[in-house]
Amino acid sequence: MRPVTAHAGGTGEAGRVGRAGIVAPDLLEGWIEGYGPELRRHLTRMLPSEADTDDLLQEVWVRAMRKPPEPGSNVRAWLYRVATNAALDRLATDGRRCCALVGRRLELAPDPASAPDEALGSLSPAARFRVREKVATLPPKQREAVWLRWVEGRDYEAIAARLDCSKASARANVYNGMKRLRVELLDVWNEENGQ
Amino acid sequence: MTGDGCTYCEDDVLAYVAGELAAEADLEMSVHLGDCVECRESAADFKALQPMISECCRDEALRWHTFASPFGRMFVAATSKGVARLTWRALGEEEFLDWVGEQHPGRPLIRDPEALADVEREVTEYFRGDRAEFDMDVDLSVLGAFERHVLEELTEAIRFGQVIPYSELAKRIGKPKAARAVGNAVGANPVPIVVPCHRVVRLDGSLGGYGGGIEYKERLLEIEGREDLLKAG
Repeated sequence: MRPVTAHAGGTGEAGRVGRAGIVAPDLLEGWIEGYGPELRRHLTRMLPSEADTDDLLQEVWVRAMRKPPEPGSNVRAWLYRVATNAALDRLATDGRRCCALVGRRLELAPDPASAPDEALGSLSPAARFRVREKVATLPPKQREAVWLRWVEGRDYEAIAARLDCSKASARANVYNGMKRLRVELLDVWNEENGQ
Repeated sequence: MTGDGCTYCEDDVLAYVAGELAAEADLEMSVHLGDCVECRESAADFKALQPMISECCRDEALRWHTFASPFGRMFVAATSKGVARLTWRALGEEEFLDWVGEQHPGRPLIRDPEALADVEREVTEYFRGDRAEFDMDVDLSVLGAFERHVLEELTEAIRFGQVIPYSELAKRIGKPKAARAVGNAVGANPVPIVVPCHRVVRLDGSLGGYGGGIEYKERLLEIEGREDLLKAG
């Protein structure tokens, strides 16, 4: 990853959280006032519909109130991250790409974090098999690296130990596996939709 | 995968989705995703991929492991239900994985020595003569109902040091005329040693066949104290 310079104003006084888990109403209001307009522009750029923008911006504030950023963290970066994540999930439901496979799942379970078991099974068995098949046919090191990272949630150090390679190589195997899966699942989607 | 004038590559997007960037770089990528269609699309895909992989594969993977044994390199593979394959006949890792892959198409194979440490321990103890019963589940789901029935009955009824003729096993499962089919079922055993197909012999006391090689059947019966059968055979 190349070095990236920080945006100015990210960690100003108004951008600090007082104590973990507690957001004073005036602090939240300050965020809405200070960052609301630019977040709205950001979401508008990311999403095809204005209605989605309003929805997601509300989600961001609700999230900021219930589960605020850690004290001392960069609030602007945090808000952008939450908004961007919400927008990416919304994009996944627009049905045009490989993530459309999982998009169907997201439509059925809008909050996957709260209902992982319900979310299970909402992909068709055929789709699940195709995904599994693609994972199964990755080159062995990529398959194991992707598996350890994304199914078992191991860190690169643990993956490196298991694969008997360097941390950099463990990471490269995860990344290359993910890139390959993306391309292959796009093919699956295109096949199933006759394109 | 970069748009016009975009200086990021797919790896940068992946690092972002994986949450591996420092706050400043993370913010810069968030902002960038508002501007760059291509990076945005790959980010949406990668973000969707992670839970998809997990959901589709979590319970479906086969774990495998290999360890040294008196018979040579032992290979073992297990599903979430139990040990599905045990063999010392594979020439190497690749051949073993091919075999298992053919039997279980579309299921990711993950090397997992930790998950299979108990299997290695029990098999090693058995070879040392320190174990008469295996305390592990087996998954015989690749077999048909008849074969499964035969092997389950065999495992249940014929214990360490005992043997049974093919025809007797056929009677036990209520198919006295199916001795040959029983022989085939025993020969199809994907988990030898643990499912004790080496304890099935001919009515005349000779050893009969063994998929893993007859000399191994002899050695297993020796471990179980049945040298008497070797002389008779």
